[in-house]
Amino acid sequence: MRRIVAAGDRALLIVFGDTMSPETLADVLTFEATLRRVKPRGLIGTVPAYASLLCTYDPGITEGASFQRQLQTLPVPPRRRLRRAVHEVPVRYDGPDLERVAQHARLSVADAVSLHAGTEYLVYAIGFAPGFSYCGVLPEILATPRLPSPRTRVEPGSVGIAERQTGIYAVASPGGWNIIGRTDTVLFDPRRRPPARFQPGDRLRFVPA
Amino acid sequence: MIEVVSGGTWTTIQDRGRPGWERYGVSPGGPADWFSAAAANALVGNDPDAALVECTLMGPTLRFRREATVALMGGETLAIENGIAFPLAAGAELKIGRVRRGLRTYVAVRGGIAVPRVMGSRALCQLGRFGGGFGRPLEVGDQLPVGKATAQPPPPLPLPKGRGLRSGGGRFLKRLPLVGPWEVRVMAGPHTSAFGADDFARFLNTAFPVTPRANRMGMRLRAPGFRVQATEILTTPVTQGAVQVTPSGEAIVLLAEHQTTGGYPVIATVISADWPLLGQARPGDTIHFREVSLAEAQRARSRLDGWFGQ
Repeated sequence: MRRIVAAGDRALLIVFGDTMSPETLADVLTFEATLRRVKPRGLIGTVPAYASLLCTYDPGITEGASFQRQLQTLPVPPRRRLRRAVHEVPVRYDGPDLERVAQHARLSVADAVSLHAGTEYLVYAIGFAPGFSYCGVLPEILATPRLPSPRTRVEPGSVGIAERQTGIYAVASPGGWNIIGRTDTVLFDPRRRPPARFQPGDRLRFVPA
Repeated sequence: MIEVVSGGTWTTIQDRGRPGWERYGVSPGGPADWFSAAAANALVGNDPDAALVECTLMGPTLRFRREATVALMGGETLAIENGIAFPLAAGAELKIGRVRRGLRTYVAVRGGIAVPRVMGSRALCQLGRFGGGFGRPLEVGDQLPVGKATAQPPPPLPLPKGRGLRSGGGRFLKRLPLVGPWEVRVMAGPHTSAFGADDFARFLNTAFPVTPRANRMGMRLRAPGFRVQATEILTTPVTQGAVQVTPSGEAIVLLAEHQTTGGYPVIATVISADWPLLGQARPGDTIHFREVSLAEAQRARSRLDGWFGQ
């Protein structure tokens, strides 16, 4: 069941659940695809992440209340299947936090790497910074808390771990995730369309390089 | 062409930004105080969305190769009076200096700053290091191209009656306050229900000092004694104006260059008519929040838009 709440006077947030699951993500993406096809008047953009979808609108074109009614009554088709194709991301597992992550998991570095690389992940959101790819779900044994204080600069392509998530930094930014490796895959380019390499719903596998 | 003689604290090119690209992690950006930016543009006869210079705390010094018409709005400086279209001769230097009241001053140049568009906008995307001409704030030696002005002189401003228009001069009087304490209007949500029963009421009854940890991405507010009982939420898309509350009770208000997703629950959202106030609040100022409905928020916004004939 979805719930629609105002996020200020220029956006609505549609909440589909409160857990990280492929089914809920598929609900979010099904609704988003419908919305992008129907293109309600005044819609500016949609932002899917995990179990919710933000819809920004222009109140100069559509009044908030009527926009909300439109979203409430939007006929939504049955849940779409997520894409099957798996993207391979080559990674050099030499990050500054790799040993600590392995210790935390009580694994050898080699075992930690093969566990991370041996799991298929789903992209749950592109967010925080341009192209940053939030992926899940990380095997529980590898789950590691964020750094007590974030680094001021994390290099583009860095692959990190935070709790049950793994993610890839697309641009240099501050960051608090445990960095276990790095990829040369370009994840964000403002001249490309779409500018981000991955999209929510994509499947990823990390390949040790 | 305009040459940057000194860069200032954090001087960036802004226009309406990139709304609609948040899905790829790109912040909408745009001026921290959209009203002052639009007013500065209107004064020189530009579209409200034309690219201009946003100055923070200490402004730049700009040398104009050719004659130009400029206008300043937002924070007050000793450079030229805010709210007038001011002619500059070829070779003139405009030294903005320190912003004395408010925090951000907008310098509009007739014709607009014509740096290339990236993803549909000339505004700097700070995290992505693109746009804004150089992918970074302005520095000494940067050359800023100026666009072609439309043939007509600046049109008279379509100001509603009784709004403090000084007669004849086409001047904006200060429409928005520049100094605190600030009353900022919010709507509840989207995660107000993730907080304890009394938390929202206490949020509205608290005066929050602005900490020095404030920039175009967001400003942190900390009031001693303000604590909340919030349940954890799953990472969620966030908007400009969102007031996140951390487990330690710090409130983070997201501004124009905000991250696109966040993991802290959002207790309330500042209405877009009051985003300009957030753009002018300085560290040490206090903010208190007042709740309004969606209808009130939209009326407040249309009243401000009415200044620009939109």
